[in-house]
Amino acid sequence: MSTSTTVTDAILTRRSIRGFSDRPVPLDVLRQVMDTARWTPSGCNFQPWEGAILTGEPLRQLQDKMRATPPQDPKEYSWSDPEVIPECLARLHQVGADMYAAMNIERADKAARGDFMAQNLVSFGAPAVLMVYFPRVMGPPQWSDVGMWLQSIMLLLREAGLDSCPQEFLSLYARLIKEFLGVSDESHIFFCGIAIGYRDAEDPVNAFDRKREPLDSKVKFLGFD
Amino acid sequence: MDVSEAVASRRSIRAFLDKPVDPVALRRVLETAQSAPSGGNTQPWNAVMLTGEPLARLVDLVTATIPQGLAAYSAEYPIYPAELEGRYAEQRFAVGEAMYAALEIPREDKTARLDQFRANFRAFGAPVLMLVHTPRYMGLPQWSDIGMWLQTVLLLLREEGLDSCAQEAWAVYQKQIREVVAIPDDHIFFCGVAIGWGDRDETINRFPVPRVDLDQVVRWEGF
Repeated sequence: MSTSTTVTDAILTRRSIRGFSDRPVPLDVLRQVMDTARWTPSGCNFQPWEGAILTGEPLRQLQDKMRATPPQDPKEYSWSDPEVIPECLARLHQVGADMYAAMNIERADKAARGDFMAQNLVSFGAPAVLMVYFPRVMGPPQWSDVGMWLQSIMLLLREAGLDSCPQEFLSLYARLIKEFLGVSDESHIFFCGIAIGYRDAEDPVNAFDRKREPLDSKVKFLGFD
Repeated sequence: MDVSEAVASRRSIRAFLDKPVDPVALRRVLETAQSAPSGGNTQPWNAVMLTGEPLARLVDLVTATIPQGLAAYSAEYPIYPAELEGRYAEQRFAVGEAMYAALEIPREDKTARLDQFRANFRAFGAPVLMLVHTPRYMGLPQWSDIGMWLQTVLLLLREEGLDSCAQEAWAVYQKQIREVVAIPDDHIFFCGVAIGWGDRDETINRFPVPRVDLDQVVRWEGF
């Protein structure tokens, strides 16, 4: 980790990467990232995060199994609860529209959209994937702790020149992934994958503009002069 | 400040200097933090930043409520999981014991321990308190999104030279918070974050906080 990346640079250059180069990720770099990420805070210092990082042959084997298996039913958990709310649904549709437009895929071209969605199964060609799971007893504040840890990891990856894509999509194969890893389905919930690798700078899917709400709609300031 | 230094130098700060926070720096932090990721770009985080008179009013109201004890608690979510096993059960009390040991407050001295706990409700003397809330329809993955945003904020504060303490403790007084701050009824109150300049010489800001070994956190397959 010889390069110096400010926190601000890391945050602003992080984006969900959906086209990776096949350049492998060095183990020592990943170990350093995961080691530093342990200093993420958590309520009561529970550190309620667990995971496995796969690359090479085991990753290929797991991806082959997922491709040969339908998504699980019932779902591991719902990630789409907010989508009953029009403004949340609108934000989701906007990201989708911007992403497919960058790739010149028409709205009506369901086949091409389906092919792209299926790229989730191979984590968009990323050479390494972090599979994230934790005990089912963990409640809402511990899910937030896990989120803090994930963002530490994604920003530390930027510092190491690496890119990522968090993939709740992989929870469609939660039981299969846990079985492959020997993780108890009874005791643990599978949350998401994090695709890890180097971005393909030429791929237009990595270049569309991402939108955010204006700050004043999210944060209010009281008592400041 | 590079990312590694921000992650490693961030710790929960429980004693702050009497030194104001530049509102321009706070805005810069929160503007940049809007780039935090979220599933489906939901951006489920909302916050109120309190300082000065409204913060003093909240502290006064909660201080007046504390003598009512547990009867006044009104947390809207379970702060601790019900059943914990293995390393989680061991960790439950480890950080508290490390803190009280550093402060030389023995287990028997319940009054001193309670006083220290109650310092939460003065935001440990921090000049700014951030109050975090989110719509009730948000599910568990959106709580993770809020966490990603929170850590983004905490790391950006480090880059500004500022310190913080994430405080779920405020959740027990969400009713009192709602009397001072307009949080929509259809939002759940999550936590406070004390923000200011840490007094890094204070014992309470210096005791070692344990972390589990890397190999207990993550496995490696295929490397």
